[in-house]
Amino acid sequence: MPKVTFITPDGSPNEVEAGPGSLMEAAVAHNIEGIDADCGGVCSCGTCHVHLDPAWLDRVGPAGPHERDLLDFNDAADASSRLSCQIELNDALDGLVVRVGRRP
Amino acid sequence: MQAPEDPFKSAREKDGLLRCKYQGESIPMVLRHHDIRRITKDHATFSSDAPFRVPIPSEENVRTVRQLPIETDPPDHTDHRRIIEPVFRRPRESEMQARIPAIIATLLDAALSQDSIETVANFALPLQSRALACLLAVPEAEAEEWIGWGIHVFRVGAGEKKGAALDRYLRRRLDRAAADPGDDFFSLLTRATFQGRPLTRDEQIGFGNLVFAGGRDTVIHSVTGILAHFAEQPASLDALRGDEKAIATAGEEFLRVLSPLTHLGRVCPQGAEVLGETVPPDGRIGLCWSSANRDADVFEAPDEVRLDRRPNPHIAFGSGPHACIGAAHARLLIRDLIRQLGERVARLRLLAAEPLLESRPEYTRRIGYESLRLVFEPLR
Repeated sequence: MPKVTFITPDGSPNEVEAGPGSLMEAAVAHNIEGIDADCGGVCSCGTCHVHLDPAWLDRVGPAGPHERDLLDFNDAADASSRLSCQIELNDALDGLVVRVGRRP
Repeated sequence: MQAPEDPFKSAREKDGLLRCKYQGESIPMVLRHHDIRRITKDHATFSSDAPFRVPIPSEENVRTVRQLPIETDPPDHTDHRRIIEPVFRRPRESEMQARIPAIIATLLDAALSQDSIETVANFALPLQSRALACLLAVPEAEAEEWIGWGIHVFRVGAGEKKGAALDRYLRRRLDRAAADPGDDFFSLLTRATFQGRPLTRDEQIGFGNLVFAGGRDTVIHSVTGILAHFAEQPASLDALRGDEKAIATAGEEFLRVLSPLTHLGRVCPQGAEVLGETVPPDGRIGLCWSSANRDADVFEAPDEVRLDRRPNPHIAFGSGPHACIGAAHARLLIRDLIRQLGERVARLRLLAAEPLLESRPEYTRRIGYESLRLVFEPLR
């Protein structure tokens, strides 16, 4: 399974080995600071905000319309923002680097 | 399984709004998911800075203070909300994640030991109140007084002005906290500052009022709605047993279909045009969360309860900066309830149900139960 790196709000990198599932689930499994994921991954709460490293933007792709709706409420969101619950991990995302975003 | 009837379907599909009249005031109710999301982003045009008037019908007659933080706009709202956010972050911490299950376990012990139980008054109400005591970091025994108020906190004290007893309670409780401060919610309010000054007593009561009013019947109706569903669809509980991820997903679908808060209002200080309707200056619109959660443009087969629905961008907790501050707490309750039902209950059997209807000239909607008598059959 892929390894992904979360850069937490204090700036420290946390490389984790992800299990099957979404990027949010990998964050929750490893208690990554700043990822609440209140709704459990159904794209209803916006509390699993991450910024993609620029090198990964194209490979991961843009937010869908409902995801974008939620991100629009977050003043800290920008073009690199995604909700981590909407990113399904696979081997092509091995090495992914994201910065944990601010909560809405 | 079909969700409860959706009274807004035809108006939502036709015009996207329903013209309603409350206390002589015309209030167009906005019904579509996309429109509501758009409106909640524009607090300059659609404001919450309106004491008593965010709820529909408005609450001038049931309370004397502005509810905080809900009846303000950013940036003040942001500063108000920040004051109580530490309390409402507690459900994400391990201490509360251990204490809520203990409350639910005790109630299940009682339910399983009786032939049958009326679950509104004797399960959902004590669960809501004891869990609130836990959230507010006060002794669980304090919840017994709150349980005595019944389901509708603004109807306590028959024969006196609605809400007066809650007001009196909050004043008394805040006096006590000021004299003998601790780590609880009330003490936090007495210590808190807003933009560099202490909160006034009315502001403290405004926070307290929202905490007691906002999360009461909504939680109670969610709990009983879930129990009723499992009584009608026993196989759906079987499918969730022991599966934490499936339980979380199911909890969100219950929130979508139950949508215990039908709507909330916004005031248009300068007036507005909304879907072809002219709202006069100081007029109101309604944001109908319960309708948006059945919008076929967003939810496939919206009238079906699909406990594995993902994604599920429901707005049962509202949307935007005012989204329910108690959402994490409600989710903790709901998920642990489902988890423990799965661990301990073989079957819920329905003996009697009296629906609670929100009846208006323009629509009738089932928001919960007046009473719901069930048998809890233990898993052996």
